[in-house]
Amino acid sequence: MKHNLAHYRKTARKLVPFIAPYRLSFLMSVAMVCVTTLALAISPSVEGMATSLLVSDAADLLNHVPGAGIRFDRLLQLLTLLFLLYLTKTVSQGVMAFTLTGSIQNSMHDLRNAVEQKLTRLPVQYFDARPFGDVLSRVTNDLDTVSNALQQTIMQILSGILSILLAFFMMLRINAPMTALVFLIIPAAILITRFIVRRSQQLFIRQQNTLGRLNASITEMYSGYKEILLFNKQEDAIRSFDSVNDDLCRSAFRAQFMSSLISPLVSLSTYLIIGGIGIIGCLLAISGSIQVGQIQAFIRYVWQVNDPMSQVSNFSAQIQSAFAALTRIMEILEQEEMEEPERPAALPDPAGHFSDSITFEHVRFGYEPGKTVIHDLNLTVRRGQTIAIVGPTGAGKSTIINLLMRFYDPDGGRILMDGVDIRQLRREDLRRNMGMVLQDTWLFNGSIFDNLRYGRPDARRDEVISAARLANVHHFIKTLPGGYDMVINEEGGNISQGEKQLLTIARAILKNPDILILDEATSSVDTRLEKQLQEAMTYVMENRTSFVIAHRLSTIRNADRILVLDHGDVVEQGRHEELLEKGGFYARLYNSQFQSSAETAV
Amino acid sequence: MKLILHYMLRYKRYLLLNLLGVCSFALVELGIPTLIARMINGGVMTGDKAYIYQTGAVLMAVALAGALGSMLLGYCSAKISTSITRDIRSDVFRRVQQFSPSEMSRFGVSSLIVRTGNDAFQIQMFVNVLLRTAMLTPMMILFSFSLTFMTSIRLSLVILATLPVIFLGIFWVTRIADPLSEKQQEKLDELNRISKENLLGVRVVRSFNNDAWELSRFSSANDAYTGYSRKVFRLMMLTQPTFFFLMNLAILAIFWIAASMIQAGAMQAGSLVAFQDYVFHAMFSTMLFCTVLVMYPKAAVSARRIAEILETESLIRDAGEAAGAEPSAETGALTLTFDHVTFVYPDGEEAVLKDISFEARSGETVAFIGSTGSGKSTLISLIPRFYDAASGRILLNGRDLRDYPLKELRRKIGFIPQKANLFSGTIRENLSFAKPGASDEELCEALKTAQGYDFVMNQKDGLDTEISEGGSNFSGGQKQRLSIARALVGKPDIYIFDDSFSALDFATDARLRQALKPVTRQAITLIVAQRVSTIMHADRILVLDNGRLAGCGTHRQLLESCPIYREIAASQLSEEELTYEA
Repeated sequence: MKHNLAHYRKTARKLVPFIAPYRLSFLMSVAMVCVTTLALAISPSVEGMATSLLVSDAADLLNHVPGAGIRFDRLLQLLTLLFLLYLTKTVSQGVMAFTLTGSIQNSMHDLRNAVEQKLTRLPVQYFDARPFGDVLSRVTNDLDTVSNALQQTIMQILSGILSILLAFFMMLRINAPMTALVFLIIPAAILITRFIVRRSQQLFIRQQNTLGRLNASITEMYSGYKEILLFNKQEDAIRSFDSVNDDLCRSAFRAQFMSSLISPLVSLSTYLIIGGIGIIGCLLAISGSIQVGQIQAFIRYVWQVNDPMSQVSNFSAQIQSAFAALTRIMEILEQEEMEEPERPAALPDPAGHFSDSITFEHVRFGYEPGKTVIHDLNLTVRRGQTIAIVGPTGAGKSTIINLLMRFYDPDGGRILMDGVDIRQLRREDLRRNMGMVLQDTWLFNGSIFDNLRYGRPDARRDEVISAARLANVHHFIKTLPGGYDMVINEEGGNISQGEKQLLTIARAILKNPDILILDEATSSVDTRLEKQLQEAMTYVMENRTSFVIAHRLSTIRNADRILVLDHGDVVEQGRHEELLEKGGFYARLYNSQFQSSAETAV
Repeated sequence: MKLILHYMLRYKRYLLLNLLGVCSFALVELGIPTLIARMINGGVMTGDKAYIYQTGAVLMAVALAGALGSMLLGYCSAKISTSITRDIRSDVFRRVQQFSPSEMSRFGVSSLIVRTGNDAFQIQMFVNVLLRTAMLTPMMILFSFSLTFMTSIRLSLVILATLPVIFLGIFWVTRIADPLSEKQQEKLDELNRISKENLLGVRVVRSFNNDAWELSRFSSANDAYTGYSRKVFRLMMLTQPTFFFLMNLAILAIFWIAASMIQAGAMQAGSLVAFQDYVFHAMFSTMLFCTVLVMYPKAAVSARRIAEILETESLIRDAGEAAGAEPSAETGALTLTFDHVTFVYPDGEEAVLKDISFEARSGETVAFIGSTGSGKSTLISLIPRFYDAASGRILLNGRDLRDYPLKELRRKIGFIPQKANLFSGTIRENLSFAKPGASDEELCEALKTAQGYDFVMNQKDGLDTEISEGGSNFSGGQKQRLSIARALVGKPDIYIFDDSFSALDFATDARLRQALKPVTRQAITLIVAQRVSTIMHADRILVLDNGRLAGCGTHRQLLESCPIYREIAASQLSEEELTYEA
C-alpha cells in the first residue's frame, strides 16, 4: 500500500509540467470545489434552522401560546441566507466548469502533442520491438482514460472527501454520540465494498476472458465464412458459438449482479443508521437537547456521507486504471531519443545532393544484442548503378535498407555517402536524397493528389499527373470516382493492393530522389502489369542509384549488380548471367525460387 | 428501441420482478422521509416515546425490505440485460451464417465482428441502465406526487411548476450537446486515425522527412478535438448545478408557502421535512431519467446496426432439400457448363464477367489466367454459388445450379481458396471438415497427395497437433497444403483451385500436381493461377481479359493465337523457354 502510494505520487508528479501552464485556472477550480462543498455542507444546517423555526412556532401555535405565530421576518432572514448559499454554490460550480475544463483539456492537449512529438524522435527500433496495437492504445485509449479521470473523477473525489469531513464537522456541532453512530457508515461501506469487489473483480476477469473467447470465435468464423459455407459447417459454427455465448451470458450476469450488490448494501447500512438517528434524535428532541430541524439537517449530512462512500469502488477502479494509463504514457515520454550529431557534417555537393558513391565498410549489425544479422558487409555502389539484393528470407536484405536509411545504425563499421559517415549527417539531409517504395503500401487518409505529393508538398498538379503516368496508374486514377481528388479511406475499399503499390511508386517518382530504394515494390502487381511497369521503372531508374529487393526475376535481371546475401554476408555478386554461369548459391536460389520452365513441370 | 423492446418482452416474468424491485426501492426512498416525519409529528410534537420506537422499528423493516428490493432489481436487470444480449448475438450470428459472400462484403467482416461483439454490448449496458433507472423514474414521480398531493395540494403545485422547466431544460441541453459530442467523437476518431497512420507508416513518414508535416496535421486535429471537448465538458458540468439551483429555489418557495400554511393551521410541521425530501426525489429521478435519454442515441445506433443485419436476407436462395437429390442415376460422367454467363456485383455498375461459355467434363483440367481484376476468381466463385449469375446459366450435369439444394451442391465441390483459412483446433479436426469421422488412413492419404504428410508427421503430436488461431503456427505454404488436403478428404466431384499453389515453391507445386492426377481422374479440375508454369499442361486454358473470354485453347495454341496470353507468358518465361515451348 505504502509502496503504491509512493508510486502514485511519483507518477502524478510527472503530470505537473503539463498542468503548470494552466495552474491558475486549475488552482481556481480546486478553490471552487472547496467553496462548493462548504456551501453544500452549511446549507442543511440553515435549512434545519428554518425547519426548527417553523416547528417551534407551530408547536407554540398548537399549544396556543399567547402571541404565537410564524416569525416571518426571521424566516425571511434564514431564507435569504439560504438563497445566498445556493447562489454561491451554483456560481462556484459554474466557474469550476470553465476553469477545470479549460485547464484539464488544455493540458491533455499538450500532453497528446508531446507524446506524438516524442514518437517522431524515437528510433524505428522502438516501433519494431513493440506490438503496434500496444503503442497505439497508449497514444489513444490511455490518454483518454487519464483525461477523463482528471476531468471527472479527481474533483469528485476531492469534493467527496471534503464533504465527508465537513459533514462530520457539522454533525459534531449538533450532537457527538449521533455523529459516532454515523461514523459507522465508513467502515461498513469499506468492508462491504471490499468484500464484494474482491469477488466481483474475479467475476469481471472471467467475463473479460469469456468475452475474449467470444470475440476470437466471432473473428475466426466470420473471417473463415467461405470455408464454413463450402464445407456446410453452419450448424457446427452455430453450436460452438452458442456455447461461448451462453458462457458469456452466465459470467456477465454473475459479474453484473455481484457488483450491483454494493449500492443496496451500503444504502442499507445508511438506512439503518438513519433509522437509529431518527429514534435517538426524536428522543433527544423530546428531552429538548436538540431541535427538530437539527434532526433533518443531520439526516441530510448522513446522505452527504453516504453518497461518496457508495462510490468508493467506482472511484478506486477509475483511479487505478488512470494511473496505469499514465504510467504507460510516461514510459513513452521517458524513452531515449535518437541522437542527432551536434555539429552535423554536409555532403561535398553544395546543394546537398548525393553525387558519387555509397560505401559499406565492415558493417556489422544485429537487431538484438548477441544475434548478429549482418557480419561484415563491404560494398561500394557508384552513382547511377542499379543494385539488386536477393537472398532467402532472413538473409538481411531489408536490413541493408534499414541501415542505409538510418532507421537503424550499425553496431560496427560505417556507411559512407560521398565519403561522409552517414551518422555525421542530419537524418533529414540524408533522407532528402532517398525515395523509398515498400511492399507495405502506406497511404494516409487524404486525397490521392495529396498522397502522391507527399514527398513534395509544393508539386504542381501537372507534375503529379506525369508522375502517375510514369507509374502507369494515371488511367486507373481517372476511373475512380473523383479521380485525383478521391479520398483514400482506411478500408481503401476499391483500391487493390497492386494499385496501391503503383500509387506509392508514383509518389516516390514525384519526389525525384537521387537514390531509389525498392523493397518488394511490385510484389502485389501481376506479372503482366509489372512487365509494363518495368519499362517505366527503367526510365525512372535511369541516372539514379537504385537498390532493389525483389522476388521476381524480371526486376532483377537488368540490375548492374546482383548482391546475393546469405546469413548477412554477401556470398556472391555480379550480373545475372555471370552468376547463373557460376552455378553457385544464386543459381541454386534462382532454381528454387524463380525457375519457371518445363523441367519440373511434368 | 423496437428491437430492444422486442427482445425485452421475452423476459416478461423478470420484467415484472424488476418492476417489483423498482417499487420497493421507491418505497424505501420515499418511505423513510415519511416515517421520519411521522416520528416528528406523532412523537416529538406529542412527546410519545413509544410511538417513536414503534415507527423506528417499522423504518428498519422498510429499510431491509428496500435493500432486498434493490437486490432483486439488480438481479433482474442483470439477468434481462445479459440474456437479451445473448439472444441478440445468437440471432445475429445465425443470420450471418446464412449470408452469402455478397452480404459479407456488403457489411464487411470487421464491421460484422463489431456489430456482433460491441454493438450488442452497448445494448446490454443501455438496457441495464434503462431497467435500473428509467423504470424507477415514473415510479418515483408517481409515488412522490401522490405523497405530496396527500400532504398539500398547494405545495405540490410548486413542484409541478418546476418539472416542465427541468424537462424542457434537459431537452434543450441534449439538443445542443448531441451534435457537439458527435463532433467531438468525430475529431477523436480523426486523431486516433492519424496516430495509427503515423505508427504504421513510421518508415515512410521518415523517409519523406515529413515528421513536421505529420505533427502539424496531428496538432490541428488535436486543437479541434480539444475545442469540442472543452465545449462538451463545460456544458455537461454546467447542466447539473443549474438544475440543482432550480430545485433549491423550489425548496425556498416551499418554506415560504409552508410557513403561511402552518400559520393558518393547514399543515403539520413534520410534513415539511418529508415534503422537502419528496421534492428532492421527484426532481432527482427526473434528472436520472434524462441521463438515460442521453445514453439513448448511442444505443439506438447500435440497435440500428444490429437490426440491419437481422433484416438482411441472403441473395442466394436455397432450393432446399425439397428440391431433392439428383434425378438422374449417377453414371460417373460429369459435365459443368457455363452458358452465356454474365455477372455483375450487387452494387457494381459494370459487369465483371461478360458472356462466358465453356464446358468441362470429368477427367478434364480447365485453367483460367488473366491480369488482376480480369474476373477469373469471380468466375469460379459462381460454381459453389457464392454469387448467382446475372444472366445465363451454369449447369452441373445438365441441371441448373440454382435447382440443387445448396448443401448438396457444395458437398460436390472441393474449393481451395487463395488464402488458406484454418480454424483453431487440431489438424485432424480441420482435415475432417468435409467428412466428419474420417479415418486416419483417409486423412493421411489426403495429406500425402497434398505433400503435407511429412511436415505433419514431423510435428510432435502428428494429426493431433493444435492449430492456433488463424493458423499462425504454420507457414503460408504449409497452410495451403493443409487446406488442399482438407478439400481432398471430401472426395468431391469438382476441384477448384483458386490460385492455391502460389505459396508453394516450384518443386512442391509440381510434385503436388503430379500426385493430384490420379486422385482427380474422375473429377473436373478447375485451376486459377498467376504462374503460367502451373497451368500450361491443362487440357484447356481460358484467358480472361476485363471479364471477357480473350482466348481458349492449349498452351501452344494460345501462344500462337492469343496476344494477351503471349504477353503473360513472356513476362514469366525466358526467351529460350518461350521459343522452346512454341
